[in-house]
Amino acid sequence: MSDNAESPTENQKDDPSIQHTTTEQSGSSDEKKKIDVLLKAVGDTPIMKTKKWSVEKGRTVQSLSQFISRFLKMDPSEQLFIYVNQSFAPSPDQEVGVLFECFGSDGKLVLHYCKSQAWG
Amino acid sequence: MMAGERNPASCYLDERTFRLCCQLFLQHSETIQDGWSWEQIKGTDEGFIKKTLLIPIKSSISHQQLGCSIQDENMAADDIQANVEDETAGVQAVCEIHAVLRYEYHVLYSCSYQIPVLYFRASTLDGRPLSLEEVWSYVHPNYRQRLQQGPWDTLTQQEHPLLGQAFFMLHPCRTEEFMKPALELAQAENKKVNYIVTWLSVVGPVVGLDVPLSYSTEVSAPD
Repeated sequence: MSDNAESPTENQKDDPSIQHTTTEQSGSSDEKKKIDVLLKAVGDTPIMKTKKWSVEKGRTVQSLSQFISRFLKMDPSEQLFIYVNQSFAPSPDQEVGVLFECFGSDGKLVLHYCKSQAWG
Repeated sequence: MMAGERNPASCYLDERTFRLCCQLFLQHSETIQDGWSWEQIKGTDEGFIKKTLLIPIKSSISHQQLGCSIQDENMAADDIQANVEDETAGVQAVCEIHAVLRYEYHVLYSCSYQIPVLYFRASTLDGRPLSLEEVWSYVHPNYRQRLQQGPWDTLTQQEHPLLGQAFFMLHPCRTEEFMKPALELAQAENKKVNYIVTWLSVVGPVVGLDVPLSYSTEVSAPD
C-alpha cells in the first residue's frame, strides 16, 4: 500500500486485486501473481492521477476497463477503449497477465486508454 | 514535406488500401488457421473477408453470454455439444451450455463511409435465424450498456450490400472515435497500422469475434 499516490478508497475496497504500486513494490511479484500496468491517457481523455497499478494476472481487460471507468467517473453513455501495442484493442475477456507476457517491457505493461464522446 | 511534419492520421481508407490490408490480414489468418477467407464478387474487384464461428451460449445465474468459440465447422452438431461441454466443464463448473450458435462475419468496404463495416448473421445450429433482440442480448457486457443507449444507431438489421440477404450490421458512424486514438498513437511512434487489424480488434469482440493477439505483431501495414 502506498502513501505517495492518492487512491480512491471505494475502488480499493471493490478491487483488492488492483492496487497502485509503490516504489518499494515495483516489479512483478510471483507470490502475489501481479503485474505492473502503466495507464496512459490518449487525446482529451482525463489523465488518471495514479498511473501505475499492480494488477492480478488473471484480471480481465473488461474488469480493468470498469475500474478505469469508475475512477474517471464516466457516464454510462461513454465507452472506454483500451489499446495495447499502441494500436490494438485486446479482447475484453483477455487476461492482463497474457498481455504482459506478450507486450510487457521493462517490467511493466503499457496500456493506452481513451474515452469516447458521450452519446447525443 | 519537411521531416517532422505530419498530416494527422486519417480515419478513412480507400478501397485499394482496404483490399491490401485484408490480404495481409488473410496471410496471417492462414498461418494460424484462424478461418478467414476472401470472397470475391464475380466480375468485379470487389470482395470481402468472412469467417464463421460456432459459439456456445453459457448461462450463469445473472446472464447469458457467448462462450469461447469453436472454429471447426465440420464437426457434427452432437459432437460439438459434447466437446463444448467437456471443455467448459474444466473452466466454469457453474455454467451450463444451452445452445450453440452459428455466427457468420463479413467485413465489407463502405464506399459511402470510406471505412470497413462489420456485417454478420446469426442462427441456431438447426438454421433458425436469431432475432434482433436475441443478438442484442448476446452483445458483450463490456459494450452492452453503452450500445443500448442508442440501439437505433448501432446494431441494426440491414440488407447485405453484395449478397442482398438479411444481415446484422454494426453501424460505422462511430468508427472515428476508436480509430483516431489508435492511429495517432501509432503515428507518434512512427509505426504504420494495418487498419483492418486495429479496427476489427475493437469491433469484433462486441459481437463475439475475438482477434488473436498475434495479429497485432505479425501483420504488417500496406506500403
